[in-house]
Amino acid sequence: MFSSSQFDATSAFAGGGFSFTQQTQPTDSTPSPAKSRETQGLVPVTVKQISEASQSGDEKSNFVINGVDVANVTVVGMVFEKVGRNTDVAFILDDGTGRMKCRRWMNENFDSIEMEEILDGMYVRVNGHLKSFQGAKQLVAFSVRPVTNFDEVTFHFIDCIHNHLQTKSQGEGLTPTQPQLVDTSLSTPMRNGSNGSQTAPSSQLSGQFSIDGLKSCDQLVLDYLQQPSSIGQEKGIHRDELSRQLKFPVEKIMESIRSLEEEGLIYSTIDEFHYKSTASG
Amino acid sequence: MDTSSPSVFVNAELLRMHVGKKVRAVVHVIQSDGEITTGKSTDEQQLIVKGLPHVSLMSYVEVIGIAESDQSIRAETWTNFGNTFDTQSYNQVCQLANGEFKGLFL
Repeated sequence: MFSSSQFDATSAFAGGGFSFTQQTQPTDSTPSPAKSRETQGLVPVTVKQISEASQSGDEKSNFVINGVDVANVTVVGMVFEKVGRNTDVAFILDDGTGRMKCRRWMNENFDSIEMEEILDGMYVRVNGHLKSFQGAKQLVAFSVRPVTNFDEVTFHFIDCIHNHLQTKSQGEGLTPTQPQLVDTSLSTPMRNGSNGSQTAPSSQLSGQFSIDGLKSCDQLVLDYLQQPSSIGQEKGIHRDELSRQLKFPVEKIMESIRSLEEEGLIYSTIDEFHYKSTASG
Repeated sequence: MDTSSPSVFVNAELLRMHVGKKVRAVVHVIQSDGEITTGKSTDEQQLIVKGLPHVSLMSYVEVIGIAESDQSIRAETWTNFGNTFDTQSYNQVCQLANGEFKGLFL
């Protein structure tokens, strides 16, 4: 699966009432709050995030992103200025948020074989270690793989956002107002039923993460109806459109519509299938 | 490390907020006549792309370039994303990257 985040048993969760039996991914859960994040795995980040990362100590120490030690990262972007030497191959990775230097040491045959395939202008996924060299941040890559299915690009940025939210909520500790955030990582099997897009075989991305999971269906329906384009439509939005756009089954949409209507947040217009938000936008 | 020239994720609706700036968008090619390519944005509206070579119809192309107007982009770099692409997800990334999570991108 594309999942790259690890669930770490920090004290932030200990009192939160979330039992670890709900975990769906196997984790090497450390019994005590682990300060060392070496077990974190590859953290999906954008070059912008890397540029803003600070270092906890001297050049040899770990980088800190979002208050969390980060050593190994995964980045997706385009290769430019590839320069191959006997000892190493260097290139610039541009992911749209910034450009950074990457270097791949030619330790084994596999390294040179893999890098030979990589050309300027190609989209690649780079997995590597963040390093500081003469004041500049660099990525020492141990894996550079061309992207063949471009949904991977979309997925990567969603992954970065997901990871960002996860570390943020871990840092702040869980509050009762954030149950939906943690739902995303803990209770994915339960959400599968309600989110139609997860069962679609055509999308590899649907594995464990969906942006929709961050908000309830009610909130999504309301958000959609409060968009300027929806408000501009006199006769409102048909519930089929909501179902299509938000990728929820019509029954779920109707449930949300009913509760929103009861709250007085939306109202039906020309018939019981069209709805508008009561807010003027 | 250079974050001075990011390309903003846009769909048709967001394009108008970034006219004159470097943007990136995925279009579903409807028409291509050498200089002007007409495509459908990830939010189902029409976009014009200038400067693309002839691209096959119905393919998805990611265009990175300068937004010339609220409906057109002048391409600097482009990548053929193939014939299948999840535009819904990309569209949502555009919204998130310009909204709540702008700090991770720009």
